[in-house]
Amino acid sequence: MSITAAPVSAHGFDAYLAHKRRRRINNWLLVACSVALLAWCFWDTIMFDTDWQRMGGALGIGGTLERFLLIDWSLLPKLLVPALETLMMATLGTILGCVFSLPVAWFGAANVTPSKYFFYPLGRFLMVLSRSIHEIIWALLFVGAVGLGALPGILAVAMRSVGFISKITAEAIENIDPKPVEAIRAVGGNQFQVMYYGIVPQILPVIIGTIIFEWDINIRRSAIMGLVGAGGLGLVFFRQMAMFNYGGVTLVVLAVLVLIAIGEVISHYARKAVI
Amino acid sequence: MMQITTTATHSMPAVKRKWSRYRHPESTIRFAVILAILAFLGYSIAYLNIDLSRILGAFPRLVEILATRYFPPDLNYVSDADFLRSVLRTLEMSLLGGFFGVVCSIPLAWLAARNITVSKRIAYPFGRFAIMSSRSIHETIWTILFVTVLGFGMLAGTLALTVFCVGFAGKLFSDELEAIDMGPVEAMRSVGANPLQVFQYAVLPQVRVAFTGIAIYTWDVAFRAATVVGFFGGGGMGWYLKRTTQQMESTRVAAILLLIIGLVLLAELGSGWLRKRIGKMR
Repeated sequence: MSITAAPVSAHGFDAYLAHKRRRRINNWLLVACSVALLAWCFWDTIMFDTDWQRMGGALGIGGTLERFLLIDWSLLPKLLVPALETLMMATLGTILGCVFSLPVAWFGAANVTPSKYFFYPLGRFLMVLSRSIHEIIWALLFVGAVGLGALPGILAVAMRSVGFISKITAEAIENIDPKPVEAIRAVGGNQFQVMYYGIVPQILPVIIGTIIFEWDINIRRSAIMGLVGAGGLGLVFFRQMAMFNYGGVTLVVLAVLVLIAIGEVISHYARKAVI
Repeated sequence: MMQITTTATHSMPAVKRKWSRYRHPESTIRFAVILAILAFLGYSIAYLNIDLSRILGAFPRLVEILATRYFPPDLNYVSDADFLRSVLRTLEMSLLGGFFGVVCSIPLAWLAARNITVSKRIAYPFGRFAIMSSRSIHETIWTILFVTVLGFGMLAGTLALTVFCVGFAGKLFSDELEAIDMGPVEAMRSVGANPLQVFQYAVLPQVRVAFTGIAIYTWDVAFRAATVVGFFGGGGMGWYLKRTTQQMESTRVAAILLLIIGLVLLAELGSGWLRKRIGKMR
């Protein structure tokens, strides 16, 4: 945008003006295209697809909202155990995810990978695969594989967190200071000793911070695992929804909020203690 | 700390101590915390009745199921015109949800950034709470709530994605805002600019590029979420996923899953490329 960025030529100023004009036209075209695209999306999704009659106008919506706002407090004592289950599912899922992401991070870090042509792309692919499949889909697959219960939920949460943990870990491994590694090699350390004394101490704070962050996210993930057949708060939500007890639904949502607020406080202090 | 160690060396001179990284209170606390975590893990394994051998057994079983039941993916099903239209609608929902989410989250992030917020007493907690609560509740729960209130269809899905994007982008935006250089802000304030002017002339120019990158990333994540929003009645391709899973048409499920993975990879590559280009403009 500044004058120094203008192309310098024989007709310097004219060229600058032409460059600027072209740029402005490009910007306008970009904005116009985006606006047209968004307007079309808006028309197609909101005007065309929505059944306004069935929604019943402001009164109908207000009526439904009112049923949500009459909170059913009698459900509160029944929420404690599912909340604990959700927390347990999140914790176990995170730990399991860490275990799974160890080999993935090892494969996917360019400087320690066993083979650049086979294992490195494999590790990278596993990272992307884990992140690109939504936790609901992972849960559906595992419900098919191991049946109903908390286990498919834990496995789904674990698989979903592999991508993030191993990606950050691999990046941390790639950015380590190579000198300790060289020193351990120079005094005759084997591969395992290099890993344990040269690499792990350097990346440990980053990894623990990431794990705590991921645990925080996993609480909200495991709160919905009940929708596809694992227990916890999601199951209570699903049941209240099926009974059309909207007051209870609101209470479950509030319980999730409180649980996550607690998790956020814990993870805040834990991260402060680690780093 | 220094004093304690010096007095300690004076009082008990010739005790040879084994070196350890953490001294008494810290080491005990660390030990207790690790013990507590392990106890919690053990208790939860026992409470949730988890058979540890089944965890490892799950993967061979998953592969077996994928190979026998899901294997030849029914690609005809996903090349059907109706299905492709639903894919297009998923894309539309993610675009709209991402756009509305980004538009709503910029003012909320402004309120929720500690250094430039309008008022620390009222606006800051409000912005924080709005962002935190839309982030805490999972997008599928938002979808179910909106579907209940507004009925099935893409409107519910779009609104759910909007709330999801408010939470996601709002946090990144406010983190970015809290890291800006305060010099221009103070200069504008000292010549008597109101908060809006400060935001427009001192803050926005600093974060424009970063915000564009975050907005593109938000769309990427919103697209990932949009593929399953339909599972709970929010429109788009998720509805086909629900129908085929409930009718046990595994080969079709496999085809849909493959398509989802492919599309998400494409979206991720596209957004990565765009973000790299925008990062160069900095």
